[in-house]
Amino acid sequence: MKSRKKWAMSALVAFLVVAMVGCSSNNDNSASGSNGAEKIMFASDASYAPMEYMDTDTIKGFDIDFIAAVMKEAGIDYEVKNTGWDTMLTSVKQGTEYQAGLSSVSITDERKETYDYSIPYFESTNMIMVKEGSDIKSALDLKDKVVAIQGATTADDLMSGIMGVDNTNLKRFDSNAVALMELNGGGADAVVADIAIVREYMKNNPDQKLVGILDTENFGSEYYGILYPKGSEWKAKLDPAIKKVLENGKYAEIYKTWFGEEPNMDNLLKAQ
Amino acid sequence: MDFKFDIIIHYLPVLFKGTMLTIGFSIVSIIIGSILGLGIGFGKMAPRWYFRWPFHLYINFFRGTPLYVQILIVHFGVVPPIYGKTNALISGVVALSLNSAAYSAEIFRAGIQSIDRGQKEAAISLGMSSRQAMRFIILPQAIKRMVPAFGNEFIVLVKDSSLMAIVAAPEIMYWSNTMKGQYLRIWEPYLTAALIYFILTYSLSKLLNYLERRV
Repeated sequence: MKSRKKWAMSALVAFLVVAMVGCSSNNDNSASGSNGAEKIMFASDASYAPMEYMDTDTIKGFDIDFIAAVMKEAGIDYEVKNTGWDTMLTSVKQGTEYQAGLSSVSITDERKETYDYSIPYFESTNMIMVKEGSDIKSALDLKDKVVAIQGATTADDLMSGIMGVDNTNLKRFDSNAVALMELNGGGADAVVADIAIVREYMKNNPDQKLVGILDTENFGSEYYGILYPKGSEWKAKLDPAIKKVLENGKYAEIYKTWFGEEPNMDNLLKAQ
Repeated sequence: MDFKFDIIIHYLPVLFKGTMLTIGFSIVSIIIGSILGLGIGFGKMAPRWYFRWPFHLYINFFRGTPLYVQILIVHFGVVPPIYGKTNALISGVVALSLNSAAYSAEIFRAGIQSIDRGQKEAAISLGMSSRQAMRFIILPQAIKRMVPAFGNEFIVLVKDSSLMAIVAAPEIMYWSNTMKGQYLRIWEPYLTAALIYFILTYSLSKLLNYLERRV
């Protein structure tokens, strides 16, 4: 009995060692590109369908197709990995393992203090989502309502501006998925999120009787950019390729496959 | 490394409110949890298996599944049908109490069963009833043995309450996440949160040490 236990124990230890070696060699493979041949590693928080999300173990979305077109134009080897939001922020700031962040990051002045951005590549705005029959018509109606949002987004910035950053009627969740559940559960009167997210959700849940409200007056246009560490050399390398993809029609093509409509190229190019 | 103290100072007032909620969650949940736990602990020591079984199931469910999932189930599945809509404060107290009850139950059971059988036999041979033996002989000794484990459970509960941020209960971790979102910075909010939790748990462990010496 005792010897069998010992044997099982050593088998377990051997398994763990193999597993650990397996993991670390994996990391070596992906890291070797960054100091040898030119390769750029993108970190992403792939929980933002349809912009970027995981389809089991592959990362997909508009951003992913867009960056594929850009990198083809630039002729540089690259890889996008799902790291989650927090890890993306810290590792892109350091710039050693990941040299850029690709995660529908809106360009704001506050964030520019810590990061550099590529030229804008996507125009977005925030949309209010309420249940049918709600008396909410504009962003200012939300002032004394309970609003659910994903924290650390521009919806957070906008609603903090309207309701006050320390207002507990503004409920910040880790992801839009949980914020949307809160609306469903009756704990919130409205959700504010990026238009693409709201539309995707309404499309997938037609039976929930939801209404999307656009308020261009209070929720202006905002633009997504690729996130770089301060002073990154990659910005100069990739910006021309982004511009080219925007101008040669490839961008509109990708946009149409994901959103089923033409992008507003005038606004996007004006924002450059 | 650059560290911006001004954003921490900017968030101090709400972090203070968050700390109050964390303390509130912890105290209310440890009280409800230990009362429930006492009942469940005794239930698990019932002589017949069909009495024991539901308590056994309860403990194994709450110890064997992630608190993260339990919070989501309570917040979106248990509270709305009863209360009418989601409410993070109620969910917090319910989820943390139910979870802590499972651990407290095991602490009570272990404490009571650690007292030698001979003690009970001696008490009964001196003419005490089974109840009296429990009340006057076993429990006073068992409680003394439970205090350290119980203190440990309390400290774990204080830190576990940080998970309530996932349903937007405005406690310490919630405000740290908010700070992170506003400035896209990691260390200022999280290290501040860690420091507050440390101050809370350290004072708590000092208090518990004092209690251990007194009982």
